Amino acid sequence: MIVAEQKPMEEIAEMIKDFNKILILGCGGCVSVCLSGGEKEVGIMASALKMFVKNNQNRDIEIKEMTISRQCDWEYFDMVKDAMAEVEACVCIGCGAGVQGLVDVYPNVPIFPGLNTGGLAVGKVPGVWEERCAGCGNCILHLTGGLCPIARCSKHILNGPCGGSEKGMCEVDPKTIECVWHLIYERLKSIGKLDNIYKIMPMKDWSTSSDGGVRHLTREDMAKLDAEEEHKKNVELEKKAEEAEAAAKSQG
Amino acid sequence: MSDHQEQVAVKEKPAEGFVPKIVAFTCNFCAYAAADLAGSTRTEYPVNIKLIRVPCTGRVDVVHLLKAFEHGADGVYVAGCLEGNCHFAEGNYWAKRRVRYAKKILDEIGVGSRRLEMFNLSAAMFGRFVEVANIMNDRITEMGPSPLNKK
Amino acid sequence: MSDNAKGNGKVGSVLVVGGGIAGLEAALSLADAGYLTTIVTKDASVGGRMAQLDKTFPTNDCSTCMLSPRMVAVGGHPNIDIMVLSNLTKLEGGPGNFNAHVHKKATYVDFDKCTGCEECTKKCPTKPLNIPNEFNEGINTRRAISLMFPQAVPKKCFIDPNYCRQLQGKKCGVCEKVCKAGAINYNDTDKDITLNVGAVILAPGYKITDPKLLGEYGYGRNPNVVTSLEFERLLSASGPYAGHVQRPSDNAEPKKIAFIQCVGSRNERIGRGYCSSVCCMYATKQAIVGAEHVRGLDVTIFYKDLRAFGKGFDRYWENARDNYGVKYKRSMISAIKEDPANNNCVIRYIEDGKYKEEQFDMTVLSCGLEPSPEAVELAKTAGVEVNKYNFCKGEEYSPVETSRPGVFVCGAFESPKDIPESVVQSTGAAGKVMSLLGDTRWTLTRKKEYPPEIDTSGQEPRIGVFVCHCGLNIASVIDVEKVRDEAKKIDGVVYADNLLFTCSQDSQDGIKKIVKENQLNRVVIAACSPRTHEPLFREMLRDTGINPYLFEMANIRDQDSWVHGKRPKEATVKAIELMRMAVAKSKKLEMLHKSTLKIVKRALVLGGGVSGMSTALNLADQGFEVVLVEQSDHLGGETLNLRTTLDGGDIREVVKQKIAAVNSNNNITVHFNSKIVDINGGIGHFKSIIQDAAGNKTEVMHATVTIATGAVEYQPKDGEYGFGGDGVLTVRSLEQQVADGQLDPKSLKDLVFIQCVGSRNDEHKYCSRVCCTATVKNAIHLKEKNPDLNIYVMYRDIRTYGMREDYYRKAREMGVIFVRFDKEQPPVVAQSGGRLAVTVFDQTMGREFEFPADRVALASGVVARDNAIDVSRGFKLTLNTDGFFQEAHVKLQPIDFASEGEYLCGTAHSPMSVDEAISQSYAAAAHAGSILGRDELESDACVAVVNEELCAGCVTCVRVCPYGIPKMKNVGMGIAEISPVECHGCGTCVGQCPAKAIELCGFKDIQLGAMIEELFTFEPDPA
Repeated sequence: MIVAEQKPMEEIAEMIKDFNKILILGCGGCVSVCLSGGEKEVGIMASALKMFVKNNQNRDIEIKEMTISRQCDWEYFDMVKDAMAEVEACVCIGCGAGVQGLVDVYPNVPIFPGLNTGGLAVGKVPGVWEERCAGCGNCILHLTGGLCPIARCSKHILNGPCGGSEKGMCEVDPKTIECVWHLIYERLKSIGKLDNIYKIMPMKDWSTSSDGGVRHLTREDMAKLDAEEEHKKNVELEKKAEEAEAAAKSQG
Repeated sequence: MSDHQEQVAVKEKPAEGFVPKIVAFTCNFCAYAAADLAGSTRTEYPVNIKLIRVPCTGRVDVVHLLKAFEHGADGVYVAGCLEGNCHFAEGNYWAKRRVRYAKKILDEIGVGSRRLEMFNLSAAMFGRFVEVANIMNDRITEMGPSPLNKK
Repeated sequence: MSDNAKGNGKVGSVLVVGGGIAGLEAALSLADAGYLTTIVTKDASVGGRMAQLDKTFPTNDCSTCMLSPRMVAVGGHPNIDIMVLSNLTKLEGGPGNFNAHVHKKATYVDFDKCTGCEECTKKCPTKPLNIPNEFNEGINTRRAISLMFPQAVPKKCFIDPNYCRQLQGKKCGVCEKVCKAGAINYNDTDKDITLNVGAVILAPGYKITDPKLLGEYGYGRNPNVVTSLEFERLLSASGPYAGHVQRPSDNAEPKKIAFIQCVGSRNERIGRGYCSSVCCMYATKQAIVGAEHVRGLDVTIFYKDLRAFGKGFDRYWENARDNYGVKYKRSMISAIKEDPANNNCVIRYIEDGKYKEEQFDMTVLSCGLEPSPEAVELAKTAGVEVNKYNFCKGEEYSPVETSRPGVFVCGAFESPKDIPESVVQSTGAAGKVMSLLGDTRWTLTRKKEYPPEIDTSGQEPRIGVFVCHCGLNIASVIDVEKVRDEAKKIDGVVYADNLLFTCSQDSQDGIKKIVKENQLNRVVIAACSPRTHEPLFREMLRDTGINPYLFEMANIRDQDSWVHGKRPKEATVKAIELMRMAVAKSKKLEMLHKSTLKIVKRALVLGGGVSGMSTALNLADQGFEVVLVEQSDHLGGETLNLRTTLDGGDIREVVKQKIAAVNSNNNITVHFNSKIVDINGGIGHFKSIIQDAAGNKTEVMHATVTIATGAVEYQPKDGEYGFGGDGVLTVRSLEQQVADGQLDPKSLKDLVFIQCVGSRNDEHKYCSRVCCTATVKNAIHLKEKNPDLNIYVMYRDIRTYGMREDYYRKAREMGVIFVRFDKEQPPVVAQSGGRLAVTVFDQTMGREFEFPADRVALASGVVARDNAIDVSRGFKLTLNTDGFFQEAHVKLQPIDFASEGEYLCGTAHSPMSVDEAISQSYAAAAHAGSILGRDELESDACVAVVNEELCAGCVTCVRVCPYGIPKMKNVGMGIAEISPVECHGCGTCVGQCPAKAIELCGFKDIQLGAMIEELFTFEPDPA
């Protein structure tokens, strides 16, 4: 899930210092689950922000509190259009995607982030989440025993461990950070794939990560593409099919 | 009823000047019961302390604590069972964590974390209940009104 | 054996004599199971000794906190009647149908009218008489009219005619004048009442042994020598000095205290040869609590053997020694002298073989437990036999059964015991009663008819506010008329009035009329504490057809007029605020309903040893179907490996009888070679899969589960005390070889027993409880067979608690030699010229000895079964660090697990003797029976409810619930589900839910929020 944590009150108060009517909008998805942006946190932030502003900016502000099921599709954003019409600004406590989704739907309302979005994580123990995926777009987990060096190695190196690995811990903080390459070694050993670690991994194709502008995830049976795009995809598909047919014939 | 129990000392507060508004969230099985016992034994505590009864301090939410300040409280405290003796096993530990979280926010917004506290006492400890009431009353009186109430 | 209760003129009601924790637990179990129960107590309140205690060992839980809810439950139970100041005078009839004659003393107060306001106890002019307050062990005083203690149930005052001026013929009548409820009745008379009951349970408890029997300790002469019960009251936060420890001679805080153990215990000279079982632990508790009250308190406990034989007890006293600096000194104390200069106690004792003399500020005598004269009288009246120490005689392997059929005993009257053992035994007695009275359940219980409920949902609030004077309790401080007038001003309040006593019958009738006439849909009462009075008023509301949860209380007595008596104006303002808060909350209240769940009428018992069979048989006798799952191919369990009873009988006969009874009982189905491989559902509707050795699976639905999986004997390691070598065997093997004729005692010359093998060491940090008795038992039997045999017992502490002490004494009288060794210097066993030699450093003599031996018998301890961990995982139950199952609460729930419908008995709980395991099995059957006896389970209405539309499926509630009640439904992203019948209603999940998808009925955010907002936004009129 996407994890995030709340920004300091001071920072948020600074963002909204010119506004008197604000909507705090929570998300019922990932950030609810990681306890940073659900209905409960909306209530806490609304109360705390009102008091902060009163105390530090010497003024009363009006806050509307709402939470939508998810902040990643416009159908949900649409549900708060009446509230958006009433307020001067919105503090969004969804992930960074949520903030920008709102910006798309409400071009005339200033939208501010209430959270610092952390990444893709799993719950380690209740209340603690640890990043597991950096979303690089070119997964190598099948080679590393299911443990990701991109997300979990301090240096993101692909051929580890480095000289800073000692007794299973990383030199960046030997008390708290585990050396993922050490874990990868142990894991490969236990599944009988230790030879993987001797393979030199080539330089990573970072183009899948951030090269070429914003990354998109497209599921083609769902996404409606424009005519040109549609045509291009169809041509590609046909070409591939022909190649496959030809290959089959030459074998037969 | 004991005639000696009236001996438990209660500090006399000057009637004039600032009287803080304090609310205490108390659990049904211990702190609220201790408050009742303070009544049975006629042990005085500051009149400006008002109790809200919850089944367990585990029910108390960070939002409740903040809302109390938002609406004008000068001080807030949560009083639950002794640690390890919660009637509902561990509700008081959750309350303790939430109080700590809310204290952080109170510092951040400039209200001050010392205006909020968590206490633990058993149903029989009415003396401690009175002591806690006095501790909070003394502390908040000394701190003065909540910054939110000054403005 | 089987008590088939199909009518036969049996009566579905029970008499419980005694209102202590044993009596209360027995009554609650029985009343919940459908039997009309009457508690007869000689005191003016239930509660017994436990009400006098400050804390309890080994958890230092507050006694009041645990007991009060049980007392309130008894007081409010529709099927429990309490008769105070009463005693049994005659008992006629037999099992199933007795006539019990009860003599009830006059209270001179009409309990129907008395509200427990205590105004009379303040005004009664008998203060100068200095009447000792018995509840505080006479440390302070009470008046002629008094309430026994603040939490008394029933909370009613009563007059002691011995001191009352009016009743003594002098002019007075003060209480009659001050009582606004008109409850005083000087013409009250004693009454004789006859109760028709099916069974009787005797639970009269104990008194502490009078230390004046031991004049050498100076009790009564030296003011600074106090009894343990007096010290308990001194420690108590609600005691005479509100928990400030003071010594009697000068009220100074003691810095140095001595405890003397075995005062009136293990003492043949004064006719008390038994061990009182609880004193070692309560002295430890008082030492710890004392050290918490007085910083740097120096405590020395003088003892003979440290008898920490219960679950967690060894760790408890070791903690006292290591972390509280409590000094344990093994020395008999022959006298306490008083230093006339400072009233200090001068104690002479032996340490390291030398006499020492030390001064203490105060001495606590750890007095033993004995039956009170009233209890002895009760035994005579009830026609049951007592033993030579006047304790009630129980059947050897069913201690709750007395010599008179249909009359049962439990608690400290059977033998000295602590609270959990009393709870176990009293619940066990209830179990035996259930199997006797079977399906007479629900025949005499009361079922109230209510008018149909009016649906007020969606209506605008129409609130009625009633302000109570509570006689003068509230009205003398608070301007109740003003509170009433302020109420009238609030939006939504359509009626407001003030009443002399809102709780009196006439007031309630009046309120009901007003509710109907004014079509009220909310009622707010500003009076006393909801903790005591909310159930009463909810019941009142139900009588009007209004949902009982549309009710709220403002506590303007206990938390206002009683504490702010000196500030009437401010108290009135506070009362208005509290009332306004209650009204604000009431506007947001909703109709609530209890949910119900149909019960599958079948019990499942895991384990076919003595415990499992006893539970199964008891439940079958109660009339329920039982599925018994046993992992081996036979019944009987570990007990089959034992041979003799304490008195030399064959213990296997007890087991064989039970096996035969199980086999012939049509209600019991046994699955051999089987285990539970899957369990789902909850109380009332468990679904388990039983798998046999061939892999065949059987699905079974059941309402309850009892874990009776037992424990095993510790197997000494090779070489441990010479184990594995010739002639070294376990005590159990020795017992088997002798009983089975493989070993002739006459062929032996010297025999050494070594205690604590596999117990009280670093690997097993607990006492196995049964080994000392087993060794003493075998030593006696061997000595009887061969008087010339030399027997040496190497021990650390001999823990023959209760009546078992008689056997320890007998063994010594027969010439068995006991040699004490230290944990750090254990005996060494060596083979020597075809025989054995045991070398040990004798701590008492201070030198090393060598004993020749033909056999060395190792008193091997009791250890948890290896597969307990699998059972615990399968059933989601917790094990303690020693591998035994962890009960819901050490003190008051020793047979329950935290999750409802699951029970525990026998050695799966902790090491225990066969008779103790059987008592606990009956107790487990009683609790299961009280569920199975119903058609459906009713939940509390104030439970957590999930709004599925808001739930994010984050599993936070699953993680925070202390009872593991929320489950995830595999729907969509996953939705939490909380069974209302199982929810305990604490609200911990509600406070943590990030999506605010869970609400606690009766304490919703909107309701608490309304109170908070009202309190701070309402500006009271300063005048």
